[in-house]
Amino acid sequence: MSKKDSISRRDIIKTGGAMAAVVAAGLLPKKAEAAKNGTPRWAMIVDLRRCIGCRGCCVADKSEYGAALGRYNTVVKNVEFGKYPAPKKYFLPRLCNHCSGGEKDVPPCVEKCPEAKSGKRMKLGKTRYRTGATYKRPDGMILLDMSLCIGCYKCIDACPYGVRSIDPFVKLTRPDREKDFGVGKCTFCQHRVDKGIAPSCVNTCQGRARIFGDLNDPDSKVAKLAREFKLLENRDKTTLLPGEKTEPYNLYIDPDGILARYKITKETKLEEFKSRFE
Amino acid sequence: MEKNKKTKDIPETARQRSNIYGLLTLIYRAEVTKELLKHIRDPEFLSVLSDMGAKLEDDFLTGPEDELIEDLAVEYARLFLGPAKHISPHESIHHDTGDGDWGQFWGKSTVEVKKFIETAGLEYKSEYTGLPDHISVELEFMQEAARREAQAREENDSEGLLYCLKMEKKFIDEHLAKWIPIFCDIVISQAELPFYREMAEVTKHFIEFEKDEINKYISEAGTVLSPDR
Amino acid sequence: MAGLNRRNFMKFGIASGALLAAGEGLKSQALAGTVKLQMGGKDFNFKTGTERKAIPTACWSCVTRCAAMGFVEDGRLVKMESNPESIRTLGKMCSKGQSGPNDVYFPDRILYPMKRVGKRGEGKWKRITWDTALTELSGRMKKLRDNGHPEKFMFHYGRMKASSSKLIKSVFLANYGTGTISGHTSICEGGKWVAQELTWGKHYDNWDFDKTKFVLNFGSNIQEAHTNHIPTSQRLIRAKVERGVRTVTFDVRYSNTAAKSDEWIPIKPGTDGAVVLAICNVIMKNNLYDKSFFKFIRATENVNASADEKISALKSHLSKYTPKWAEKITGVSASKIESTAKEFAKAKPAVVISYRGAVAHYNGNDTERGCQMLAAITGNIDNPGGRCRGIGPHWKYPKGPKDKPKAKKLKLAHGFPGTVAYPNHGVCQQVLPMIKDGKAGRPEIYMWYCHNPVYVNGDNQGNREVLKDEKMIPFTVTSNIVYDESSKLADMILPDATYLERWDWEDMVSPNQVPEYYIRQALIKPLGEARDLGDVVIELAEKMGMPLGVGSTKEEYVKKSHEMTAKAVKGFPGFDYMKKHGVWHDPNAKPKYYSHKKEIKADKLKDAILDEATGVYWNPKKAHAKNPEKGYAETKKAYKGYVGQKIGEKVYKSFPPDKVNKSGYLELYSALLKKKGFAPLPTYYPIPEHEKMKPDELHLTTYKVAVHVHSRSTHRKWLSEIYHDNPGWMNPKTAADRGIKDGDKIKVKSPIGEIVTNARVTEKIVPGVIAISYHVGREESGRYGSGRKSPVAGGANDNDPDLKNKFWDTYGMHPNWIIPNSDDPINGQQRWMDTVVTVTRA
Repeated sequence: MSKKDSISRRDIIKTGGAMAAVVAAGLLPKKAEAAKNGTPRWAMIVDLRRCIGCRGCCVADKSEYGAALGRYNTVVKNVEFGKYPAPKKYFLPRLCNHCSGGEKDVPPCVEKCPEAKSGKRMKLGKTRYRTGATYKRPDGMILLDMSLCIGCYKCIDACPYGVRSIDPFVKLTRPDREKDFGVGKCTFCQHRVDKGIAPSCVNTCQGRARIFGDLNDPDSKVAKLAREFKLLENRDKTTLLPGEKTEPYNLYIDPDGILARYKITKETKLEEFKSRFE
Repeated sequence: MEKNKKTKDIPETARQRSNIYGLLTLIYRAEVTKELLKHIRDPEFLSVLSDMGAKLEDDFLTGPEDELIEDLAVEYARLFLGPAKHISPHESIHHDTGDGDWGQFWGKSTVEVKKFIETAGLEYKSEYTGLPDHISVELEFMQEAARREAQAREENDSEGLLYCLKMEKKFIDEHLAKWIPIFCDIVISQAELPFYREMAEVTKHFIEFEKDEINKYISEAGTVLSPDR
Repeated sequence: MAGLNRRNFMKFGIASGALLAAGEGLKSQALAGTVKLQMGGKDFNFKTGTERKAIPTACWSCVTRCAAMGFVEDGRLVKMESNPESIRTLGKMCSKGQSGPNDVYFPDRILYPMKRVGKRGEGKWKRITWDTALTELSGRMKKLRDNGHPEKFMFHYGRMKASSSKLIKSVFLANYGTGTISGHTSICEGGKWVAQELTWGKHYDNWDFDKTKFVLNFGSNIQEAHTNHIPTSQRLIRAKVERGVRTVTFDVRYSNTAAKSDEWIPIKPGTDGAVVLAICNVIMKNNLYDKSFFKFIRATENVNASADEKISALKSHLSKYTPKWAEKITGVSASKIESTAKEFAKAKPAVVISYRGAVAHYNGNDTERGCQMLAAITGNIDNPGGRCRGIGPHWKYPKGPKDKPKAKKLKLAHGFPGTVAYPNHGVCQQVLPMIKDGKAGRPEIYMWYCHNPVYVNGDNQGNREVLKDEKMIPFTVTSNIVYDESSKLADMILPDATYLERWDWEDMVSPNQVPEYYIRQALIKPLGEARDLGDVVIELAEKMGMPLGVGSTKEEYVKKSHEMTAKAVKGFPGFDYMKKHGVWHDPNAKPKYYSHKKEIKADKLKDAILDEATGVYWNPKKAHAKNPEKGYAETKKAYKGYVGQKIGEKVYKSFPPDKVNKSGYLELYSALLKKKGFAPLPTYYPIPEHEKMKPDELHLTTYKVAVHVHSRSTHRKWLSEIYHDNPGWMNPKTAADRGIKDGDKIKVKSPIGEIVTNARVTEKIVPGVIAISYHVGREESGRYGSGRKSPVAGGANDNDPDLKNKFWDTYGMHPNWIIPNSDDPINGQQRWMDTVVTVTRA
């Protein structure tokens, strides 16, 4: 049995208790509190009418992060149906949903991270939160701190969407894990957004299918679109896997019901999150 | 310690600067409305103006409201709208860019101002039908920029703060200071009613004041922030 | 005002704040929103947060050449984005552009001059110095020139545009004295260009999606690949989503463009022209035409015909092209043709768009001319929302020494004698066959640039045999970044700079009819010893003792061009501004429409004479005409003296000719075609090979996908990661008839050869066709593109940490092995889509 396996098991036991402690300590940002303090609630709206399947976003992401071949932060899937002479093809851009976590206010990846409370206490504006290996910022970004990660990869299993993967370009730094690889996923381009620049994929999207912004700002484009298309009210039609109740903040404008035709299962989720072009 | 104390009132400063820009925006945007007049004639407000040395005539203070509104509208039109010779309140008219591309509408500065404002994330409302470099638009932009600066200070958002300050400095240096004092001087010399003359005085000095002060804000922000970085 | 100090200002601020807070009536806002995220123009390192240096430049992945921004960190190019100031791109970029950094750093890049050792094509190389390389090349070139045979130096380029083209072709080659130059346009879009030149003069059309109300598409895959992709594709999808503009696409294959259209209408390959003509027929017959535009149309031999005469001539010509007739040929129902015609005619404005799917056929010339006819009869020509004449910037540039030798040339660039009527843009695919043939002579030095002659023309095997034969071509040389199927057969390889390491001014057409000036800046120093061919030719010229006098580098050439342009173009801001911003357009410029309506005033006609036969006013002096009395049409290059077209009693700018002596009308009736024995009015020509097809045979058609550029991007790992295989698409019915299932290995056999590939059985294609994309299937192009390491010593580098993450080991099958080199008889376009094949299980 490898060292990693034994650690995983031990950590599973730790995790449940740890989460409760974190929530009790008020160190996970609460939505209402953040909003009251004027903290943004970042969201990505994907307008499926506008995506032409060019994959500019996918390569922009590769380039922004120098992401390793075979690992992706965002992909565009083809959703096809219908018979000749009337076949149909739609394009479905996908990325980390930056879930709020539903009723518990804890997304599954954060919940399952044994190191969820190992980081520092931080403030974003007036809102307090705590970092961890996988953590949620008050503005909704689900982020990773690879200096805290122990490489148990439970977050990869936990994410029902399959958006996390092992990153061969990130070596863990904790002394006993130096040989293990880290985990990668979309960060909403936190390093750009924090400096006032739109995420790389949004910047390049020629169809303007990806719209990013602050839902807490009623004048923002995302807030306007969310109202116009009732995206927050109808999450069963505007998000992937609504049954998982993770409350994604990657919302889709989907008048043709494409999300309902797209299937992800536990078995296929990792394979599905790969970039291919027919 | 000393430093902390000194910088503590800076969010406040930014907010007040934003307010001044906001008021001046209103003054130049259009003719004085009844509501605005009522507030200007408020004794408290007047005393602030008078502290700064702005002298408004008795008429202004006590005259019948409707008549005054009418007089101010006539003056506003005469000074800023035409149709006869007037002082067009647009940057591209006054800002000598050194390459001949000025002195007319939609000059180089107009394009630059529009680009600048849009790059900062603002957009011109479709119901605004004026030119992008109208004095009131430039002032309004500064109102918003200073407000955003104040917010960044409150949130200890050091990156955002510097971003705002540098943006403000750039806009002041490249635009406001390049033409508003010149424009104000002409208004001062041409105004018949004291109101616009005094407002032009205030505007001119405020912009000059801003041009000097902004560097201070930036260096202060830099020192306060540096230990954390 | 003594009281104006900080303290009082603060009080003033508080008072102002109270005032502002007092009521709604005190808000008068011109601006909306809060200071918020910028869309781009900045980038940061995601690990360290350090801002990356942003340098405006221009992409070169495809011919669209988008204004771009390169981000550099510690001297390394890390990221490409679009230039947010560009009115063409509006700050957007496609996947190809985004993969730019791969072009610089791919592990198999050629970084040093190489010389072949051993037999040509054997793959043995040694590294040489630049000095050795250029001394040898200039020595060979000088010898040819000194002996009076500069024409034996042949230059064959793929993509070479704007300042690169001017410096290399108009300055260097012109001073050297060779006219043996070929481009590659005929294997791209040359047929479309010629058809337009024969009709409305200019070669490039812009589709005004911002203002149109209806889009009718014949064979353009604009949403995946187009010669002006990013500027136009984003406007098309915006028109659809934001304004509900309907798009109807005729195509053999359900492309992504078809997928984003409101309707896909499957059509039999090579028959688009029949639908176009039938649509024109319906419009004319039902009097749905726009009579006012007929003033500018030529529809009869008589150039002075009235509008009614023109209308009746067209009606009678088109009467045989009924929807029922077209239905039999195309497989598109007569009622669909009828309704589409009416929809197009009634939507004002509407735009008809077309590209290679419709044009790269035997009959492509008249399909394109049919599209021009459809646009013209409905008044959708050069109007807001219609099919407009392409507008680009007009740079000025140094032309080098005044006294240039008269160019000598081997007639290798325009096809076999007598086979192509108007090869205005060359016949690229016949260059190597003609060298083999030998009747037009053979070059002693064959140099190619941004081109892969073996692979990108038809008949790869034939091309390879010619290029490999040292007796046919004694010396071969290329400037290239990647070891490919052709550089393999070079005697000398010069390591080219990538587009991200060089200077240019650029000039592609604007989508909004306002020209944009933009430049390409070197973002980084070229890797290794790579050098821009623009710099190299300046040195070659020096070595041959024929200095060009245009500066010592391409950068200087570009700078001088800026100085000259600043003198000629009002408001043009100069080199420093361009280096900082990358783009410039005249903010006062109005979009250019309706330029045909411009009247030519009497003083402009002073030196012009009227040619009665065509109604053209022309200036024989300007055309260097020795015998003007021969008339406009019969004088060589008379079009260069075109001044205006007499229409009624007035003279208009109308539709000036650009490459041929056409009249100034929009020539639906082409006297030039008639002269060469073709029908003067747009006509349907069945494709001979298709007429003879047996029931078991299929059409082979090729196409592009959104994530690759022609056959020149497979070395870019981020593109090949997404697309590295190209199975042949077949309809389930077609596959079932042959007992083929999805994924089966299949043999595709044409008259010139066969390939083995896999089947992709899909609903997204008409029966009777196999479609194979042509990006992949590379024998060489480095490890990401072909799995093969470049044998060029010094170039290959194994340090790319991604090499061990590469997960694919399929590289596809290139279809050009089985497509013969054959030409549209009118314009010389390579007939990519006409090959007939049999497909069986392998």
